[in-house]
Amino acid sequence: MKVLIVEDEKTLAYEMETFLKKAFYLCDLAHTVAQGLEKIEINSYDFILLDLGLPDGDGLTLLPKAKKYNPEAAYIILTARGNLEDRITGLDLGADDYLAKPFSLLELQSRMQAIARRKFNVKEEALPLGEFSIDLQKRFINFKEQQIELSRKEFDVLSYLFLHKNRVLTRMQLSEHIWGTFADDDYDSNYIDAHIKNIRKKLNVWAPTEWLETVRGVGYRIKK
Amino acid sequence: MKLSAKLIYFITGSKLAVVLLFILSMPFLVARIASEYTNYSLRDQQAKVIRDVHRNGIDYYLQGDDSFGSYTMLKEEYISLQPATPKLQLDTIKTARRKVEQDTLNYRVLSHTFKIKDKNYLLEIGKTVGSINQYNKPLQRIALYVLMGLIALTIVIDLIFTRILIRPLGKIIQSKLINRKFPFKDESVPVKTSTQDFKYLDESLISLMDQINIDFEKEREFTANASHELMTPISILQNKMENLLADDQITEDVAMRIVGMMKTLDRLKKISSSLLFISRIENDQFVKLASVKPADLLEDIKEEISHRLEDKGLTLTIDVTDKVTLKNVNHDLLFQLFYNLINNAIKYNVEQGSVVITDAFNKQGDYMVIIKDTGIGIAPEDIDFIFDRFRKANLTENVGYGLGLSIVKSIAVYHNIDIKVASVVKQGSTFTITFPKGMLV
Repeated sequence: MKVLIVEDEKTLAYEMETFLKKAFYLCDLAHTVAQGLEKIEINSYDFILLDLGLPDGDGLTLLPKAKKYNPEAAYIILTARGNLEDRITGLDLGADDYLAKPFSLLELQSRMQAIARRKFNVKEEALPLGEFSIDLQKRFINFKEQQIELSRKEFDVLSYLFLHKNRVLTRMQLSEHIWGTFADDDYDSNYIDAHIKNIRKKLNVWAPTEWLETVRGVGYRIKK
Repeated sequence: MKLSAKLIYFITGSKLAVVLLFILSMPFLVARIASEYTNYSLRDQQAKVIRDVHRNGIDYYLQGDDSFGSYTMLKEEYISLQPATPKLQLDTIKTARRKVEQDTLNYRVLSHTFKIKDKNYLLEIGKTVGSINQYNKPLQRIALYVLMGLIALTIVIDLIFTRILIRPLGKIIQSKLINRKFPFKDESVPVKTSTQDFKYLDESLISLMDQINIDFEKEREFTANASHELMTPISILQNKMENLLADDQITEDVAMRIVGMMKTLDRLKKISSSLLFISRIENDQFVKLASVKPADLLEDIKEEISHRLEDKGLTLTIDVTDKVTLKNVNHDLLFQLFYNLINNAIKYNVEQGSVVITDAFNKQGDYMVIIKDTGIGIAPEDIDFIFDRFRKANLTENVGYGLGLSIVKSIAVYHNIDIKVASVVKQGSTFTITFPKGMLV
């Protein structure tokens, strides 16, 4: 998958690039509207990540022109403005999603994955997870033919960990994904631990879950 | 007491005092007038007599006699002319007793001596004291009636005039002080008046409110800009730390430290976004067009929040009618309002405590939702400040950053919702959220 990051904060653009490269995306960087348009005219991208406050203009003005050259691409608006009008205008202009800064890179990747499934019709088969198989799209986890009942939030935790497998996710990152803005600020709370405990309990009935690791002092990881 | 009432009382009082003084002094005044008039008429008669004597000779009166005397039938007036010793010189008016025929009466007597052909004469003209004062009573009565009538008339006129005069003041109070809610968004309309003082008062109030608005606007802009400016560096730090955490080369110890840093950064992020959120509410950036059933809203929150109950083994009971729907509200903001209140009720609760949510209508027909917890309570000295930014009750408990209730307050003000708090330390707090009748469908 090819990604164009249009972001004037160079450090931020670089961090996004680093992260997405690790997840096997190919990244191009642009720091102004002009640079962005130039790249879009020449190349074809799957994802265009668009910051709104650019030095030579508003990212929103770039959107319609970019769509002409690159109608297939998925557009995600990244902004620190975060007001409702920008969001509505952005989505009206054909953006596929909208992320308010500061956002977690994990969240960005998870949104990109969701768009890929929806927009590019990427059919993901149920994927193996230890002796289980997990289907992120249809939202279920099976042991052989047996579907295991997980609560909505338990499945959210598991699928987020699975999406970012081999990476340690902190309790905070997991809560933010599940509860969004309602994630609380008492960081030593054990709501995530309780969910993990339940997931393990429900899965252990069928097979061992040694792939779901607790990383002391940090969080959890699915190792493969 | 109102200014108009004070003015009327003062005007009426002062008028009554004047009237009283006048009534008390009237007998003297009238008596004085009567006596002055008597003196005048006595002098007048004297002049007539002297004129007659000069014109027609003394015999015109004396008719050959030594003296002349005449009186009216009831002896109210008399006149006498008689020779006097050459040395006698008199020209007085005084009250004296005189004997006329058999009666001795009190008279006002004019005594006047004059010379005709070297002979001295004494002229006396008298008028009984009783007849002098006979008109005093009726005169007093009529004067009193006229006076009373005039006073009543002027009081009515004063009443009307002061009302008209004071009206602009009432308008200024109504339009500038009572009916204004901070922040003053609508333009101030100057009150029409020709009274300089009211104009000055009105203009001062308008300029004062404009100044407050400008300052408030500046503060709001600053909060919004500052929080917004913070977002980019926070964003960079967060993403750097996320990448760092995924680095294979870091040790377990470093990883733990990075997590610690991420927690701190998250706090900073939450504070900034809360401030930004409040300033967005204050800037009217949310549409209030939704209709919301509090019962549904509370059920949604219960589902969202229920995992927090387990820690302390709390129970959350919602007993709210599903027949009430609120109109012209913002769903997300109302959700946030109730979420924050319920979240606090859970956060500050005790082991095995409870949160009970009920509803009621008050006398005016407003709808109330009551959230009652069995938590640690709020000290009376803190209760006035709990909605202020960054003020936190129970400072020893290091939870929350004091913005949850500020958000609640902004949302409440934005929707014209009233929130009342009652609390007893160590027993719990009760938040009563009142939706005005006009918000109900």
